Amino acid sequence: MSADNKTYWKSLEEYEQGGPSGERAAVEFVDTPLRDLSEPGRRDFLRAAGFAFAGAALTGCGRAPVERVIPMLRQPEGITPGRPYYYAAVCGGCSASCGVLSKCRDGRPIKLEGNPEHPVSKGGLCAVGQASLLGLYDSLRLQQAMARGRSAPWREVDAEISRALDSFRKQRRAVRVLTQTITGPALSSQISTFLASFQDARHVVYDVLSASPILDAHLRTHGARVLPRYLFTKAAVIASFDADFLGTWISPVEFTAAYSAARDVDAQPARSSWHIQFESRMSLTGTKADRRIKLAPAEIPAALEHLAVRIARKAGSAVLPGAGSRSPAPEDVMDDLATRLWNARGRSLVVCGLASTDAQVLCNLVNHLLGNYGSTLDVDAPSNQKQGNDRELMALVDEIKAGGVAALFIHGLNPVADLPGGEELARSLARVPLLVSLAPHLDETSSLARYLCPARDPLETWGDSEPVAGVAAISQPAIRPLGQARPAIESFARWSGVDAPAYELVKGFWKERVYPRQERQQSFDVFWKKSVEVGFALVKPQSPTLKPFDLSVVKPIDVVPPSGNGLALVLYANVAMPDGRHAYNPWLQELPDPVTKAVWDNYASLAPATAERLSLKNGDVVRLEASGTAIELPVLIQPGQHEQVVAVALGYGRSVSARFAGAGPKWLERRPTLGPNGKVGVNAAPLIGWENGAVQYWPGDVKVTSAGKRQLLAVTQDHHSLTVPKHLDPGGGPRPIVQETTLGALHSGEAKHEGAHTPSETDLWPDDHPFTGHRWAMAIDLNACTGCSACVIACQVENNVPVTGKDEVLRNREMHWIRIDRYYSGPPDDVEVAHQPMMCQHCEHAPCETVCPVLATVHSAEGLSQQIYNRCVGTRYCANNCPFKTRRFNWFEYSREDRLANLALNPDVTVRSRGVMEKCSFCVQRIQDARAEAKRQNRALRDGEIQTACQQSCSAKAILFGDLNDPKSKVTERMKSKRTYRVLEELNVRPSVGYLKIVRHHEPGKGEGRHG
Amino acid sequence: MNSRLLTIVLATGLFFSALYLLTVARPVHLPGNQQDYEPVQPVAYSHRLHAGELQVQCLYCHFNAEKSRHAGVPPAAVCMNCHTMVTASFGAVRSEEELATKENRKPRTIVSPELRKIYDALALDANRKPDPARTPQPIAWTRVYKLPDFVYFDHRAHVNAGVACQTCHGPVETMERLRQVPDLSMGWCVNCHREATRNGVGGKKLFASIDCSTCHY
Repeated sequence: MSADNKTYWKSLEEYEQGGPSGERAAVEFVDTPLRDLSEPGRRDFLRAAGFAFAGAALTGCGRAPVERVIPMLRQPEGITPGRPYYYAAVCGGCSASCGVLSKCRDGRPIKLEGNPEHPVSKGGLCAVGQASLLGLYDSLRLQQAMARGRSAPWREVDAEISRALDSFRKQRRAVRVLTQTITGPALSSQISTFLASFQDARHVVYDVLSASPILDAHLRTHGARVLPRYLFTKAAVIASFDADFLGTWISPVEFTAAYSAARDVDAQPARSSWHIQFESRMSLTGTKADRRIKLAPAEIPAALEHLAVRIARKAGSAVLPGAGSRSPAPEDVMDDLATRLWNARGRSLVVCGLASTDAQVLCNLVNHLLGNYGSTLDVDAPSNQKQGNDRELMALVDEIKAGGVAALFIHGLNPVADLPGGEELARSLARVPLLVSLAPHLDETSSLARYLCPARDPLETWGDSEPVAGVAAISQPAIRPLGQARPAIESFARWSGVDAPAYELVKGFWKERVYPRQERQQSFDVFWKKSVEVGFALVKPQSPTLKPFDLSVVKPIDVVPPSGNGLALVLYANVAMPDGRHAYNPWLQELPDPVTKAVWDNYASLAPATAERLSLKNGDVVRLEASGTAIELPVLIQPGQHEQVVAVALGYGRSVSARFAGAGPKWLERRPTLGPNGKVGVNAAPLIGWENGAVQYWPGDVKVTSAGKRQLLAVTQDHHSLTVPKHLDPGGGPRPIVQETTLGALHSGEAKHEGAHTPSETDLWPDDHPFTGHRWAMAIDLNACTGCSACVIACQVENNVPVTGKDEVLRNREMHWIRIDRYYSGPPDDVEVAHQPMMCQHCEHAPCETVCPVLATVHSAEGLSQQIYNRCVGTRYCANNCPFKTRRFNWFEYSREDRLANLALNPDVTVRSRGVMEKCSFCVQRIQDARAEAKRQNRALRDGEIQTACQQSCSAKAILFGDLNDPKSKVTERMKSKRTYRVLEELNVRPSVGYLKIVRHHEPGKGEGRHG
Repeated sequence: MNSRLLTIVLATGLFFSALYLLTVARPVHLPGNQQDYEPVQPVAYSHRLHAGELQVQCLYCHFNAEKSRHAGVPPAAVCMNCHTMVTASFGAVRSEEELATKENRKPRTIVSPELRKIYDALALDANRKPDPARTPQPIAWTRVYKLPDFVYFDHRAHVNAGVACQTCHGPVETMERLRQVPDLSMGWCVNCHREATRNGVGGKKLFASIDCSTCHY
């Protein structure tokens, strides 16, 4: 019954040895001996030199360097030096176009936060969105226009482009614009205006992570190429066929918020949706599923078909008489699913991430028969977040190869790296007479372009977006442009003969086309000002013209039987690096993947059984041959993956990642961050297939052979383990780190303190440490947490956490203040997953504080464990004594050489120097700021006024911060939950962070057996 | 004999050199201590004249101190609230008027060289109207009060608690040129916080935390 008797493990080694293994887990610091201790060496020399230098510095010291203070000549109203101010904007990280508030200080944005009022993203912001701030301060971004490889004034470039376009217009030659999905109606309309003057012109849209088959399927079934808006909030039963909707599929922030809301067991009445995931690799969404069925790629469409047949039978529809083959998933699972879905008609949702229009049609059919259209799927106010059309893309590529395109404008895409056959495409692109790239970087495609017209960063320009029909958003610039780049909308206007700034163009479009779609405001100026202020406006959605569901297009799909013992290749998108656009971003490169926990690489994931069969170990380099090409990648063994699958992440091996050659501290023993190809990871795009009018991320069989080499993979899953190694605690059992309960137990009230250690009454500070004022605490709902890792990047941005490079991560020295521990339970071929955000627990009886010889870490009167950098001498005793392993040591003066990137630093947080310990501070700078502000306004602090950075970014609302001494605060209420427990309660360290148990639908070990 | 003489000579030398070093070394501070720092500023602004003689309130110019961490140096536009009209010292204007009466002509506008710097910074013409031909150029003052980067002092909290500016900045209203009065050491801060908690500020009871994270984060 109790969930505590479950054994959790983080890595396969740990599973096999029954505890954390090796020196990595047993010690906090993995040190490499630098030299033979008997001889004087580098360190002694440096020590002596250091003393000599210090002496010289001391004798010469006098006054500090003279510093200037330069006030504004005129201080604009509402802007106060030292106070943050916010602009509503649209996130440019991906086409989901979440609403953000850019937090600015002294003229520059320092952090992106989700806009809590935005109707689509609802206040969350994913890791990619948080990290996209660094794109603005990227010193390698193209700063001006270039012609034929040389910098050129815009005037000249525009004149040359216009001249060429004029001649193409007369000759009626083909002009093409190739972009990714543009959710901004102003820009789309500007591109249409630009193309309207040509006889043979087309705007081709493709998405690196394509959803084209979904749109194509709706064209067949509904008569319009629409992408429904999926409303997970309303779904009580969710069946996902390989759609990683919490990680990378269409609009993860929106879906995570909705999904979590539908699983809020504390709501009145309690909500707990049931989610089944059919997939072949271990996706982030799969880790949250109540039931996870692993299938080979070819079996998933078959499973969908079997579901469709069952639903059709229940609905009394004769549209699908029966499925051809045997169900790949157990019959009882399919029956149970069909019953659950049928019972939740109109409150269920079937989503499908397969790159097959036929399969998507079946998915539509199931949703139609279940009456989900109009309820959990909205096609009347559809999503605009993916508009790509793979068929048109293929036609365009053929056209380019045939030499039929005279002018090609590429915006926001890197087709040479994103598409298969990149080399051939590059050769053809080089022959296009007028190739213009609007890319912000010199990448694989833009380096071929005759003219580079770099578009501005979204934070530097006015823009708009309509991610979902009826929600029109405005993006306000947050900074004066850092270079001579020009907004894309201005460029297209200029080439259409209109010379206007982006502001005029966006505002003009809104006046003509958006303002008439609403009735609330009577004057455009008021409407515009209001929309700019809040960041969005609700307008009448432009509904597509839909036909009634066309049953005649439904046909059984050709199920390719799995090819015996062969291995199938699955190309997928990583949560941290969804497409290669962010390959320049060191924050994202060093973000541990939520599932594999690997950084700075992509890899070939294999199931444990497959790796054993092929005699491969973690880090062995294999050669993957598919689609007529081959790449070499290191192996990573992934529990829970299907045995017939090799999974490889896309978006790596980009030329822009070559910049990380110097990443990490510069010292004698450093190893490179880059792989043997001089880039981060290997580009897997050449293995993508092109079939049936869609880009195929599952190109079919793959041949795997060992390359006889090894490559180090930096995987953080074994780092900072809370489990005691076997040899240190021979008789000890598993520690209750992650705790679970079941729905049944929760409702019957059994969950309280079940199996938990009763906290000891012994108090370290019996009388003299009362918490009379505030008492800061955090409650983390493990049931809501999806492991998406947005909080990790949010914390990194807020607290100036440095990037260390791959080699330092290999030495356990990553610096993140918050990490997400991912625990497996069960056998490696069929694992259940738990995510646990772990940061400083701010223990009342903090073990770290009692061992500091210089009192650099002490407790505050408000329950914070304070870390004082200027007092720390770096003994690292505190880190050794921390049971949660949340302290990070600055082994080096981490690189702050990029002066432009330094603009992203938070001026409210000290940049730590070498030899200093650091850790989560509960965002004390935000506490102090809110307190001073409340004092200024002569009022008490309000509950919810202080949000830590991790809490703010969390789409799932898993993290809650507040005052435990306030009996009415939300955190007090949550701490009283039956599910609340403290990690390692038996140590009596009394953490200020409470965790709420995961709620499983099934009873562990009985009832719903899980399919293996 | 010789050695005794040598010892006496050396000891005397040591005594006098120590005495000399003590007198010379007294104004030398420990590294980081900037007490008595009184740099020359780009504009010879007098706090004595403005805050002392004319009794302009501190917060009139340093208006950010109430609402921000930084008190801020006032924007040049704030100077113009008065100095659109007042272009030179009263004495200079009077003597020009007298001279003009004597020479039987209209008095000329006298602009003091220090105020000229403000007008130049704002790119104003002779009539103190914006001159589009010139570019405004902010004034780079020399910072006097400077805390290390790991200390976060908040003016807002102190001003709103009723701490007088002079408590930390000394008798600014008597200074021709601004000078750093306290040594800004941590002990100095903490003592004041203890004192404030014990005795209150301006008769008001309050709690001034001495937790490390009050200032260090």
